[in-house]
Amino acid sequence: MMRSGVDPAGGWDAHRLTLAFGIAAGLPACAAIAERGGAFSILLAMGLAVIWEAVFARIRRRPMAWDGLVSALIFALLVPAQTPFWQQGLALSFGLVMGDLIFGGRGRGFLSPACVGLAFLLFSFPQAGAEDLGLMTMIAALGGGAILLGLGLLSWRVVLGFCLPLLAGAALSGAPEAVAWMPNATLALGLIFLIGDPVAAASTNPGRWAYGGMAGALVMLFGSEGSALASVVFAGLLASLFAPLMDQAVVWWAWRRRRNRRGQHG
Amino acid sequence: MELRFRKGRDIAFGTAPRALPPVPCAVGAVAVMARDFPAVVWDPRVTQGQVVRQGQALCVDRLRPEIALVAAASGRVSGLHHGARRRLERIEIEAEGAEETEFDVKGATADPGSLRALLLKSGAWAAFRTRPFGRIPAPSDRPAAIFVTVTDSQPLAADPVAVLAPQVAAFQRGVAGLLHLTEGPVFLCQPPGPALMAAQGRLRVVQVAGAHPAGLAGTHIHHLWPVSVQKPVWQIGGQDVSALGQLLESGRIGARRVVSVAGPGVQAPRLVSVLLGARLTDLVDDAAGGKPLARQVISGSVLSGQSAPFLGRFDLQVTVLGGAAPAPSVWGRLLSCLPRLRTGATLPMERLEAAFPFDIPPAPLMRALAVGDVETAERLGCLDLLEEDLALLSWLCPSGCDYGALLRRVLDRLGQEAAA
Repeated sequence: MMRSGVDPAGGWDAHRLTLAFGIAAGLPACAAIAERGGAFSILLAMGLAVIWEAVFARIRRRPMAWDGLVSALIFALLVPAQTPFWQQGLALSFGLVMGDLIFGGRGRGFLSPACVGLAFLLFSFPQAGAEDLGLMTMIAALGGGAILLGLGLLSWRVVLGFCLPLLAGAALSGAPEAVAWMPNATLALGLIFLIGDPVAAASTNPGRWAYGGMAGALVMLFGSEGSALASVVFAGLLASLFAPLMDQAVVWWAWRRRRNRRGQHG
Repeated sequence: MELRFRKGRDIAFGTAPRALPPVPCAVGAVAVMARDFPAVVWDPRVTQGQVVRQGQALCVDRLRPEIALVAAASGRVSGLHHGARRRLERIEIEAEGAEETEFDVKGATADPGSLRALLLKSGAWAAFRTRPFGRIPAPSDRPAAIFVTVTDSQPLAADPVAVLAPQVAAFQRGVAGLLHLTEGPVFLCQPPGPALMAAQGRLRVVQVAGAHPAGLAGTHIHHLWPVSVQKPVWQIGGQDVSALGQLLESGRIGARRVVSVAGPGVQAPRLVSVLLGARLTDLVDDAAGGKPLARQVISGSVLSGQSAPFLGRFDLQVTVLGGAAPAPSVWGRLLSCLPRLRTGATLPMERLEAAFPFDIPPAPLMRALAVGDVETAERLGCLDLLEEDLALLSWLCPSGCDYGALLRRVLDRLGQEAAA
C-alpha cells in the first residue's frame, strides 16, 4: 500500500498506538488519584519521561515519541506511595533508558520499561510496599484492559494463559486464604500493562499462550512469599526474558512443519 | 476439494462494480512495462516510429530471447523509455488501425513442443509467473504444478467467475492446453459454486472461500503445494487462460481484459473491457464521464497497486483515489488531527495473525524481512510468497514498512543464490 502512498483509514501508527495505551492507562490513573491522591508524583514521573524522550530524540535526530509518558504513568501507578522521589526518579530513569530507549524506542526492545524500572526499585531499595490501590482503581484498570483487548492491542491469549495457572492453583490448593491476595489492583494493572505489553510479550500465538502461562505460574509462585507488586513485576520480567526463546521455538516448529508438508508431494 | 479460510480481512473501500456485460473501452495508447517482470533485461525489437501489428514482438528477454512481449494493439511505436543503466523500461504504442498477427496454431493443441513455441512467440508465455520468485518461467521449465486463479479478493475487484462466464469455452480450451505444459496437477481455484470445468485426471478443482487474501494465488499455493527452488509452480490468471484458449482456436492473441474501475474518485464503478497495458487516463476519464479531477489513479488494488500511467500486465483493476471523501465520524476527525508518525517499529499485535491465513507466524517473518535475514525468511516459507501476499500486513503494520518491497529484496537474493 505504501508504494502508492495511499492511506485508507484503519492503519495504526506510533502516535495512535501511544494514544490508545495512554487512554487505557489514564483510566486507572484517574481512579487512583481520586482514591489516594498522588497526582504530583504522576506528573513528576511524566515530566521525567518527557525529558528522557526529548534527550534521545535529540541524540538520534528522530521525531519525538511520547511512549515514555505511558510508561511513566504505569510506573507511577504501581510504585509504593511512600517511596522517596529520588528513588522513584532513579528507578524510572533506569527503566526508560535501559528498558526501552537504548534499544531505539518502543517496539525495538523486548522489555516493558515500567517493569524494568519497578524491578530496579524493588531490588535496590527493598521496602515493605503497602497495598494502597483500591477497588476503584482495579475496576478502572480492568476497563482500560477491556479497551486494549477490544482494539487488539492486548492479547486475549496472554490474559487467558495468565489466568489459567492462577485458577488451577486456586482450585488445587483448596485453601481460600492462600489465593485471597489475588484479586487486587496491583495484579490487574501488572497483568494488563506490564505482562500484557505487546512489546514484552511473545509475538506468536503459541508463544503468547506459553508466555501468559509462565507469567501466571511465576506470579503464583512468588505471590505466596512476597508482595503482590514484587511477584507481578518479577514474573513479568522473567517471562519477557523468555518470550524471544518461545518465539524462536515457534519458528523452529513452523520450519519443521513446512519441511514435512513439502515432503508429502516430494 | 475445498479451502476455507477463517483468517483474513476484507477492507471496506466503497462498492465494487457489478454491472455486466463490460463496456468496451477504446484507448489511445498501450504500453508494455518492464516493472511487471522483475529480474529481466529486455532488448527492443522495434524502433521509434515503427508501425506494428497487434501480436508483433516488441522486445525479447536478453538472456532467453525466445521470450517475447508483443504489442497489444496495432499502431505506431511512440516511445521507448529507458531507466537506470539504460535498461528498457517501457514501450508505448499509439493505437491506430486493426492489423493483427495470425499465428500458426496447427499442431499446438496436440504437440507440447509446438505449444510452447506458440506461447513464447505470441507473448502468452509472459502470463505465467513462477513461485518462487515471481518471474517469467524459462522456456524449457517443467513446473511441478500450475495454478489457475479464478478468485479475486482484493478490495473493489470484479467477480472473476461472472467475467469468465461468456468466455467459458475458450477458458476450458486454455486449461486443456495447460495440461500439456506440466506432468503435475493443474489446480483450478474458484469461488464456491458450480465448477467451471469438471475435475478429471490431473485437473483438480478447488473451491476457495474466505476474506482477503483468500483470493490470491499465493494463499492457494501455500496450502496446496508449498514450493521450493527445485520444485517451482506456475500461476496464471483466469482471463489469461481464456486468452490462451482464444489463441489456440483462432491464432490471434486475446489482448482484451475485463477490468474493474472503481474507488472514491469515480462516480459509478464499472467494468470495462480494455487492451492489455491500456493508458489509464483514457480509461478513467471515460469512466468518470467528466473532467479529470485532482485524483490518483492506481493500477491494481489500493493495497498492492502502483501509481502508473498504464495498466500493469497482471492488474485486473484500476483504483481511483481522491474525489469526495466520505464524511468521517467525530472521533475519526479528531484522530485525523493527530499527525502520522510512520517511522516507529512494528508492534506484534494479534490482528496481524488474524489477517494472515498462511502457516507462517507473521511477526517473525516481518522481522526477518525488515532486517534482511534471508535464511530465517526462507525457512519460514517466504518462497511461497510474492509482494501482493504481504500487502495486507504492510497496511496493518504501524511501522509503515512496505513488506512487499522487502520481500522482493530477499527473493532476489535467494534467486541469485539459486542461480549460482
